[in-house]
Amino acid sequence: MTGGLSVSRTVGRLSAVVLALFGGACSHRDRIVVGAKNFTESDFLAELLAQQIERRTGLPVERRLHLGGTYVCHEAITSGKIDLYVEYTGTAYTEILKHPPIADADSVYRADSLEYAKTLGLTWGRPLGFNNTFAITVRRADAEKYGLRTISDVARIAPRLRAGFGYEFLQRADGFGGLARAYGLRFAAPPTAMDLGLTYRALAQGNVDLIAGNSTDGTIQALDLVALEDDRHYFPPYDAAPVMRKELVTRHREVVRALAELAGKLSAAEMRRLNLAADVEHRDIAALAREWLAKNLP
Amino acid sequence: MNLLRFYGDHAREAFGLLGQHLVLVGASTLLAVLIGVPLGVLLTRRPAWRGPVLGLANVFQTIPSLALFGFLIPLPFLGGIGARTAIVALVVYALLPIVRNTYVGISGVDPAVREAGRGMGMTDGQLLTMVEIPLGLGVIFAGVRVATVVGVGTATIAAAIGAGGLGVYIFRGVSTVDDTLILAGALPAAILALIADGLLGLIERRLAR
Repeated sequence: MTGGLSVSRTVGRLSAVVLALFGGACSHRDRIVVGAKNFTESDFLAELLAQQIERRTGLPVERRLHLGGTYVCHEAITSGKIDLYVEYTGTAYTEILKHPPIADADSVYRADSLEYAKTLGLTWGRPLGFNNTFAITVRRADAEKYGLRTISDVARIAPRLRAGFGYEFLQRADGFGGLARAYGLRFAAPPTAMDLGLTYRALAQGNVDLIAGNSTDGTIQALDLVALEDDRHYFPPYDAAPVMRKELVTRHREVVRALAELAGKLSAAEMRRLNLAADVEHRDIAALAREWLAKNLP
Repeated sequence: MNLLRFYGDHAREAFGLLGQHLVLVGASTLLAVLIGVPLGVLLTRRPAWRGPVLGLANVFQTIPSLALFGFLIPLPFLGGIGARTAIVALVVYALLPIVRNTYVGISGVDPAVREAGRGMGMTDGQLLTMVEIPLGLGVIFAGVRVATVVGVGTATIAAAIGAGGLGVYIFRGVSTVDDTLILAGALPAAILALIADGLLGLIERRLAR
């Protein structure tokens, strides 16, 4: 039937129009456009890259923050609506390049760099220094009561627990399906699918007993939760690194040099502290980025 | 085409979600009528409460759904995760049109008719059930119709709090930029809204006669 097809075409066309409208400003080529996914850490990292480019090169930088999930940012950069954003190596490897997850950080980064350059016209910058992996998280009271330190520990008592996950984690190749197979997880009921941000609140309030957060989230500490160790190394490494359009790299070597200064400078503990400051203490991310740059890269 | 193939492969799941969606809309609209109509009647008897009550119902409409869920999760009885919380949120969103139309419907009854009723010795209760509600029913029902049609769309947010419904496909689709999945949730919701509007419109025209 052609009804469904023409509707999906119309939607495709509509979204192209929307992209063209909000992406219109970056047709001006000497303006560099930094994008971000729809969570605090991604916004902060985009702001950090933007400020570093501005203060080292003097080029004007436009921020397109909080765009949407991985796929939205990927569409935006491959279609030239943004020039760079921070991606995580394991996410690119499994979600964009569609490889089954593997554990070795260097192999993942090398494969990403090679394939992005060859097939997508995108260049990976050097990793910033931290790995933001999925954190299977429980309440501290439960961790102490049942002696939970690793995900294997949870597998023993999983039939007594209720799990709640965001939609992306439930859909991803490196998400719940594979995790359940790797650890033999069987919960009391199928996991509740809900908005990612609400899972933390539901866990803290006792509506669910286990969630998949991000290991650098400040809320883990703030809500007195415990992230369990991935003792079977199911999750691939998710090292954060800037991804840039090749055009940007060839036209503005100074931008690449400015971003290279950030390589390896941002630890997981530091990122957690920054997320906590932004999410829980409601500090302005631009101010946080400015302070971090002044302290670490004077 | 993709969409049809998708429904072919996921027929059971799709019907399950459609069923959940109907339950969410039905239960929340029913509750909103049970709360909203008496509240609207009360406003016609206590005109001073009109401003604050309608103002509050108005404010409820402007609360973003995720924020509302955030507030509801910690509450006992009303909160938590799942269908109950979603229904509470949907009732909150459905109240305004029902309360307002009940108030407007009843205060719009011709004062001469009301006086005639009083003159015949009707009590306030008899006046309400035998004169005011029958005459205002068309307008009251129009409010219920608006609440239902809007509710069909709003109920897609129930998927954010683990309550299922057609929003599950929309949320999944948005998180993976899959147009087919988004349409798989949005299209039946839109058709459902049109059907509900048509059916309730028919009833409304009968009542208005």
